[in-house]
Amino acid sequence: MRQSSVIARRVAAASVSLVVAAGAAACGPKDNDAKSSGGDSEPHKGGTLTVLNSNPQSDFDPARLYTSGGGNVPSLVFRTLTTRNRENGAAGAQVVPDLATDTGRPSKNATVWTYTLKKGLTFEDGTPITSADIKYGIERSFAAELSGGAPYLRDWLIGGADYQGPYKDKKGLDSIETPDALTIVFHLNKPEGEFPYLATQTQFTPVPKAKDTGTKYEEHPVSSGPYKVVKNENDGERLTLERNTHWSASTDAERKAYPDKIDVRSGLDSSVINQRLSSSQGADAAAVTTDTNLGPAELARVTGDKELASRVGTGHFGYTNYIAFNPKVKPFDNPKVRQAISYAIDRTSVINAAGGSSLAEPATTYLPNQKSFGYTPYDHFPAGASGNAAKAKAVLAEAGYKNGLSVTLTHSNSKDFETSPEIATAIQDALKKAGITVKLQGLEENDYSDKIHGAKTEPGFFLAHWGADWPSGGPFLAPIFDGRQIVKDGANFNTGFLDDKSVNTEIDAINKLTDLGEAAKRWGALDKKIGEQALTVPLFHPVYKRLYGKGVKNIVISDWTGVLDISQVAVK
Amino acid sequence: MSEALAASPAPAADFSAAGASGARQFWRRLRAQRAALVAAAVVALLVLVALAAPLLTAVEGQDPTTYHPSLVDSARGGVPVGPLGGIGADHWLGVEPQTGRDLFARLVYGARVSLGVAIAATLVQVLIAVVVGVSAALGNRWVDQVLSRMTEIIVALPLMIMSLALLAIVPGSFPRPVLVALVIGLIAWGTLAKIVRAQTLTLKQLDYVAAARLSGWGTWRIARRDLLPGLAAPLITYSALLVPMNIGVEAALSFLGVGVKPPTPSWGQMLTAADVWYQAAPQYLLLPAGALFVTVLALTVLGDGVRTALDPRAASRLRVGTGRRGEARADAGTAAGTDPLRPGTPADGTKEATA
Repeated sequence: MRQSSVIARRVAAASVSLVVAAGAAACGPKDNDAKSSGGDSEPHKGGTLTVLNSNPQSDFDPARLYTSGGGNVPSLVFRTLTTRNRENGAAGAQVVPDLATDTGRPSKNATVWTYTLKKGLTFEDGTPITSADIKYGIERSFAAELSGGAPYLRDWLIGGADYQGPYKDKKGLDSIETPDALTIVFHLNKPEGEFPYLATQTQFTPVPKAKDTGTKYEEHPVSSGPYKVVKNENDGERLTLERNTHWSASTDAERKAYPDKIDVRSGLDSSVINQRLSSSQGADAAAVTTDTNLGPAELARVTGDKELASRVGTGHFGYTNYIAFNPKVKPFDNPKVRQAISYAIDRTSVINAAGGSSLAEPATTYLPNQKSFGYTPYDHFPAGASGNAAKAKAVLAEAGYKNGLSVTLTHSNSKDFETSPEIATAIQDALKKAGITVKLQGLEENDYSDKIHGAKTEPGFFLAHWGADWPSGGPFLAPIFDGRQIVKDGANFNTGFLDDKSVNTEIDAINKLTDLGEAAKRWGALDKKIGEQALTVPLFHPVYKRLYGKGVKNIVISDWTGVLDISQVAVK
Repeated sequence: MSEALAASPAPAADFSAAGASGARQFWRRLRAQRAALVAAAVVALLVLVALAAPLLTAVEGQDPTTYHPSLVDSARGGVPVGPLGGIGADHWLGVEPQTGRDLFARLVYGARVSLGVAIAATLVQVLIAVVVGVSAALGNRWVDQVLSRMTEIIVALPLMIMSLALLAIVPGSFPRPVLVALVIGLIAWGTLAKIVRAQTLTLKQLDYVAAARLSGWGTWRIARRDLLPGLAAPLITYSALLVPMNIGVEAALSFLGVGVKPPTPSWGQMLTAADVWYQAAPQYLLLPAGALFVTVLALTVLGDGVRTALDPRAASRLRVGTGRRGEARADAGTAAGTDPLRPGTPADGTKEATA
């Protein structure tokens, strides 16, 4: 299950880069629009929006998509039971109803969730959407040939672990009930207060059984959203979407759907995308990207040009880059050694290596610095902006390393800035001042990923990162710190091998909460408590800068995705 | 120039004196080429800079690995503060974007890697080429067949792809510059081995070798005493051209992320980090690119000068070949342009004298 999370994080990270907003999340994109488009900043219907992306939509089957909050382009075609709030900043990290009338009614300790569909919902051919279509959509995501989605449904639904999907098992999943055409009930095998977040994923979109063509369904999925797929060329490299005339804004409070047509072109190099957006010639004036952000060098150039700078949006996404320790490897079994490294870290250098203060914010907590995650500030081993070498030396001496020590830091050789050699050398340089000699071990990316997620191969001291499938502390803390999730053979994400009874019981207790605000507070408190063990050294939370074309209006970037929401933009 | 060379007297047929007079003649011919002299000076300077890297950076008061976060504008992606990438009295060539590391220090330390790896790789190539080439030429038909086919396979291997594969599988604990030198050396010796074999076949036909064999010398002794000195010229010529090629390969491998590892600076690695900065901080890209350009150009011009100085054909413009030599030349294939003959051998002496 965790391996899938890796994919999710990659998908999320990719989408993250999309963020195009005006200034920081605090400063509304609408201000920007007004500046860049002169007098008429009001969004109007019409026109063609071009989306310039690097990654093709090679999976466009709702069963196979692994998205955070339903994705960006997919969300134009697939409506789900719930969805993310299409607002700027923190408000956008909330879950809101979509096809359903509310975000779900829990009962029996949050093990049973009931949803009622809105009235008058139809597919692109005018046939009504029923609860049976949603059940069928979920069931087909269990089919082996349509795998790729998040693992939660299989883990949470009663009977989910053994269900083979509707092609092999015609009887269907008993844990999803459809007592009438508008009601759907989910029976879970354990309390899951965060079920409404899960119901935003594309597996919760209705699929009419009569139109299901199995693995070919992705070529022409039946739309429930404001746009339908009219052309899918080269396995998702170019998607053409046009209005779904059966969609009605009266049942959809979230999607604005201003443009008449959406032309998604992918397979482009990220520098080409940014170059095209910055020159904004012809159709590129009405272009955005949903998977490319500005790199440090591009940012340096853009910030030197007023006109370009006015077309940059900023987004945040729940993500943390950190140093991980394996306490089974000496000398990291000694908490003092882990603390000394925490004290010595120079976050200014690390952040510069990651692209500077506009592209990364210093992190001292494991949870992202956002309210929806339950962010509770703490800094147990204060290093200041540039490291506290004296304190680190003192702690090292207490640990018995008066003359310093020598350790190996494992990182990936990939040019991807998250775990790159640049960040590793910044850490090496900072620890040198505290008397810690760091040898660098750079591994090829797949090798690196396999090694750090193998219980037997895990190095003692390495660069890591984590992002959540939805903006809450649950998917952030549980996989990493729940002792019952240690995997001896296979992909293990509890890299600190923490198996603390009090942590495990608290995780269970929070999962029972259906008040998401209350749950967030408890996740924050738990994070603070786990932080005392210094199993990780949080380094930074990335920030995403996105460029968009001259003619693009109504920029909305939520903290859920950190990406420009293309259901909101207008090109007229 | 070639007129002057053509007019130069032929070396004595007495081959005990051939070595000394060949060397003298070589230096004279080399000195006559102004471009080669300039190139030699540049190469000497580069070698000196590489050797004196710690000294030079000490004079500047910097080192190649220390971060200077205050010298970059963090909010603007880490672009160096100040004009021309932060050039000043403290940082002669400015600082690296994002990290603030001193570019002069990184450049001169990078020269060590570039030149060191390239020269070491060349030595490995020459060693393997001589062993394989001479063994093939002197061995029986089967030895020759096996070694020659092996050489052909090596020539056919795509150098970059093989290097990438080899460098990816060797554990990270192996010293990286040594590894890069070995990998380049072990993959790119094929052409040189063919030249050595061809030249050895030519020499084998000559009277003094026949005389040595008749007087009962063993193969090993003939190879060592009679053949190796005759191989010196083509080896020197070709190696002089191999060094710049190897510099390029090392830079390419580092550029692709499998060369030397950070924080060890290398020009190729600097290029890969700098490619995205060409608009925001052009000097960051231009410095390693310029260094590579100058080094490769100087070495190539020098190599060409050496080839001209050693090539009797440039002197005599005469080609008189035995049947066996023609076969050898065909065998050398791609190396036909760099098929120098040892000056000072009786055959060449005769030719030049006739001229």
